[in-house]
Amino acid sequence: MKNTKPKTLSRRQLISRAGALGGILLTGCDSNIYTPPTIRDGLMGVADVLTMASQRFLLSNQALVQEHDINEITKNFPVWNQSNPEDEEYQRLRRGSFAEWRLSVEGLVNQPISLSLEDLKRFPKRTQITSHICEQGWSAIAQWTGAPLLKILEAAGGVKPEARYVVIDAYGGWYEGYDMFDVVHPQTILAYGMNGKDLPQGNGAPVRLRVERHCGYKQLKFIKSIQVVSSMDGFGRGTGGLNSDFDFHWYAGA
Amino acid sequence: MILDHLFWIMRIGLYVQGHSEQIVSDNSKLKNSKEWIQRHSYNARICHWVTVISFGYLFWSGLMIFLQFPELYWGKVGFQGHPAVFRLSDWGLSWDQADALGDRRWGRNYHYLFAWIFAFNGIAYLGWNVWQKKFYKKMFPQREEFQLSHIKTDIQNHLQFKAPAGEKAKSYNFLQKMSYLIVLFVLFPLMFISGFAQMPAFTAILPELIDIFGGRQTARTLHVVCTLLLVLFLIVHIIEVFIAGAGNQIRSMITGKYAISTETNE
Repeated sequence: MKNTKPKTLSRRQLISRAGALGGILLTGCDSNIYTPPTIRDGLMGVADVLTMASQRFLLSNQALVQEHDINEITKNFPVWNQSNPEDEEYQRLRRGSFAEWRLSVEGLVNQPISLSLEDLKRFPKRTQITSHICEQGWSAIAQWTGAPLLKILEAAGGVKPEARYVVIDAYGGWYEGYDMFDVVHPQTILAYGMNGKDLPQGNGAPVRLRVERHCGYKQLKFIKSIQVVSSMDGFGRGTGGLNSDFDFHWYAGA
Repeated sequence: MILDHLFWIMRIGLYVQGHSEQIVSDNSKLKNSKEWIQRHSYNARICHWVTVISFGYLFWSGLMIFLQFPELYWGKVGFQGHPAVFRLSDWGLSWDQADALGDRRWGRNYHYLFAWIFAFNGIAYLGWNVWQKKFYKKMFPQREEFQLSHIKTDIQNHLQFKAPAGEKAKSYNFLQKMSYLIVLFVLFPLMFISGFAQMPAFTAILPELIDIFGGRQTARTLHVVCTLLLVLFLIVHIIEVFIAGAGNQIRSMITGKYAISTETNE
């Protein structure tokens, strides 16, 4: 724990980041937080906005989700959906124990960076024991350790004023967009550890997202890259993620 | 689509109104003096049918969601392989069969849509009744109704499928009032609270909501139990409508007019 700062950062960069951080926080508080990237037609869209706006209003203090006791951790946490993406690059990285895995942080950031797993582990870490809630109905408790997404964006020099969404790509074809309201939440972390060990294969090795106020389908596994964008146009059907491209709710807090 | 449904209810309403005299004369063999009363207000009638539509959709969409994870648990966690309190596969429908029947994408979308419609409808109904101040007298049992002898005759009437007539038919009876009150103020709120307790955002908004159930899996199980109780209520409700005279009852819920035969046919 002696070196908690990412090595790519100098003292001067740290100072210049302060303004950018303020920018992120500001975007997290404006009226954009009440609506998804695209609003569906008719009554369905009205219901979506009502659900999202009412919950976001109640969450506006950015309260933390309930954290559990260490003895409440589920022993055999389920492996759900993809457990090993059939992706050539992923398989190559996996055989090399992810030593060559690089997380690129690009788009509307002031200074694009590329982080190795070791770099990620040098960030100030956060450990949280939380419930994973699947939209299908199951839930289980695990301890997650990782780097806060906000700190990673800060390391990339902060975001530009027009930044609205963080798009995370995963091996296996999944992608998902998150708005700044969720990005700035302290429990939004890129987790590389689970229950005190490295993140297991089935749970998204080497790194997965924890965005605790959402259902399981927002907790992307097998993370590949991060892009900061001003609009979700051009990604899939433009709805803001693969799940919402398939007509699930983009906002998964309910 | 909900507008389609309301349109059909209106059409049925106009049809029933047009044929009401005929239906009543078919219904009551004794063509004695009949008294017409205004039984249900506009508010009660509209809210009743919106409830019918939204409960139908909520039940069906809930079933579609449930079928794709047809197990129930108790406590904070639950998943395939965890000790379950209910497994559909124990009742003859395998996991894969249930999964093929369900559709949670459709289910989730419509469940939330109709939960909102249901909620606004409930607020409109209760708000109007508070404003009108008639609710207490109509829905809450009065002092004399709590007497044991009164309750006893009420139960006997129900067991003998005897419908109230004359003056008594103008108001709700004790068991009727109690069951409506339980549905309105116990089961409906429980459905909402146990629904909220399953939402991940509520672990940050109000963790106590989950704690009062002892975990979100318990909340999910109680959500299903309450559904079954509501379906039980619905079955009894429909049976009672037929006992009391379906034509007269349904018309009164559509047009508001309700026929009371002053000569009781006992």
